[in-house]
Amino acid sequence: MPATVTNSEIGSRARGRAETARLFERWQSHGDEAAREELVASFMPLARSLARRYGRSSEPFEDLLQVASLGLLKAIDRYDGERGHPFQSYAVPTILGEMRRYFRDSGWAIHVPRGAQERALRVRDAQERLSNESGRAPTVNQLAEYLEMDIEDVIDALQAIRAYETVSLDAPRGGGEEDIVPYGDTIGREDERYELVELDATVSSALAHLPTRDRLVLQLRFVDDLTQTEIAERVGISQMQVSRLLRRSLEQLRALTDAPGQAR
Amino acid sequence: MVASPNVRLRLTNRAENVLLVRQALSGLAESVGLDPVALNDISTAVTEACNNVVLHAYEGGEGEGPLEVELCVGADGFDAVVRDHGVGIRPGVKAAEELSGGIGLPVIQALSETVEFRDLPGGGTEVAMHFEAVGSNPPEETAGEEGAALEAIDHGTPGGDLTLMTVGPTSVARGVVPRVLSTLAARAYFSTDRISDTQMLADALVAQTDGEVLAGHLSMGVSVAPRNLEIRVGPLRTGRADALFRETALDGLGPVLERITDGHAVSPAGSAEILDVRLAQRN
Repeated sequence: MPATVTNSEIGSRARGRAETARLFERWQSHGDEAAREELVASFMPLARSLARRYGRSSEPFEDLLQVASLGLLKAIDRYDGERGHPFQSYAVPTILGEMRRYFRDSGWAIHVPRGAQERALRVRDAQERLSNESGRAPTVNQLAEYLEMDIEDVIDALQAIRAYETVSLDAPRGGGEEDIVPYGDTIGREDERYELVELDATVSSALAHLPTRDRLVLQLRFVDDLTQTEIAERVGISQMQVSRLLRRSLEQLRALTDAPGQAR
Repeated sequence: MVASPNVRLRLTNRAENVLLVRQALSGLAESVGLDPVALNDISTAVTEACNNVVLHAYEGGEGEGPLEVELCVGADGFDAVVRDHGVGIRPGVKAAEELSGGIGLPVIQALSETVEFRDLPGGGTEVAMHFEAVGSNPPEETAGEEGAALEAIDHGTPGGDLTLMTVGPTSVARGVVPRVLSTLAARAYFSTDRISDTQMLADALVAQTDGEVLAGHLSMGVSVAPRNLEIRVGPLRTGRADALFRETALDGLGPVLERITDGHAVSPAGSAEILDVRLAQRN
C-alpha cells in the first residue's frame, strides 16, 4: 500500500474520532437517539467482524450477530470518553464478553457437534456424488467449491467422519450414531456379493480370521493397487467404507505386532 | 514454560498456515478434552496473533519469514506462544493496527487470562498468552530435548513450503498428527481417498513410534508441492524405521505402508536415524 493512501487514511480516521466523540456527547449527555443510531451504524462492522472471528463456524451466524449487536449497544451506553481511551478498546472486550457469555449459557457447546455433524453428512454425500460422477475422489478444494463451504470446514468434516467411523467400530452403536453412520446395516446385506469373488490364493492364513469382504478390500488395495474409489466402485460400497475397512485391518495388524505370538 | 510444549510448529508466515495452526490446536484440544467454548477462545486469540505475524511481521507484510507457535497444556492452564523473527511485531503491529483500525490485539487481550509481548534479542517478538482452561484429560508432562529433535529434522529437509513440528506425548500426537497431515495433503491437492491414506500413514507413524521416539516427542518435517508430500520423521532409534515398514507386512499382501506410500528412505543421524517418506497423488 503506497504511503500516500496510508496518510490519507490516518487523516480520515482522525476526523472519524472527533466525529465519534461528538456523537457520544449528543447521546450520553443529551439523550439524542439519532446520535445513538448513528453510532450503532458506524460500529456495526466492528460487531460483525468480531462475531465472524469468534464464531467462525457458528450456525446460524445471524444469532451470534444479534448477540454481538447487543454487546455493541451496551458498550455505546457505558463508554466513558473522558478516560481518553478510544471507543474500540472498550467495545471489543464488551462485545466479546457478551458472545462468550452467550456461548456458555446457551449450551452452544452442545450445538457445535450438531452443526459439525450436519456438515460432515453434507461432505460425505458430496464426496460420494462427485466420486460417482467423475470416477475419482474429489479434492478438498473441489468439495469446498461444490458445497460453498470453507476449506477448513471441509477438513474438519473429514476428521469428524473419521471420528464417527472409529466410534462405530469400537463401540456398540447406540441410537444417536445411526444417522451419521448408516453403513453398518448395508454391510451384512451386501455380503453375498463378496462371496462370489474368488480371492487370491496368496492371501494366507494369517488373515483367515478376517471376513471375506475385508480380505477382498485389502487385496484390491494392496495387491492390485487400486484406489479406494476404484475399490468402492468395484465392490459396490462407499469409499468411506473402504477407508474404514482398511483402517480397521491396519489396527488389527497393529494389535498383532503389539502382542507378538498371541494372535498368531 | 518449564515443561516442553505439547506442540511446537515452525512455519512460514503464509495465510494458509494459520489454518494449519488451528488444526493442530483442534487436535490438541480433542486429545486433552478441552471444552469447546475454551477452545473457541484460545483458537480465536491464537488466530489473531498468527494473523498479525502474517500481515505485519516481515517487511510490512510484503516479506516472508518464520512463524513459530508453541502450545502447552499444563495443570494450571493452557499456554500459547506465537513468535516471529521480523521487525518485532510490537511496534510494527501497533503502528499497523493504528492504521488499519485493527482489532487483533484487543481481541487477544480480551480472550486471554494474561498476555505478554516480549521483544526477542536479534529481532522479532513473541506473544505469550495464558488461558485458564484445563483439559479433562491432561497429558503427562514431558521435559525433553524436543527442540533438538526439531533441529535434526530441519537439517537437510528440502526447502519451499516446509512445515516443522514436534508433538508429544503420544496421546497428543494421536490427535494432532493426522489433522496436520490431512491439512497438508489437502493443500497438496490430494483427493479425499488419498487423504484417507495419509491419515492411515499418520496413525501408523504415531502408533509405531510410540515409546520409540527420542525425547518423548514425535518430530516431523513436511514439505508440500502440488500432488506431493515429503515427510521426514525422527530422530528414531536405529533400526526403527525399517521395522516400522516391516511390521505392517501382511502375509500375501506385503508391507501395506509401502503400498500406501510412494517410496521411503532411511538415513543415519548421529546415534539415531531419520525416515523420509513420500506420498503422491497418483491419478
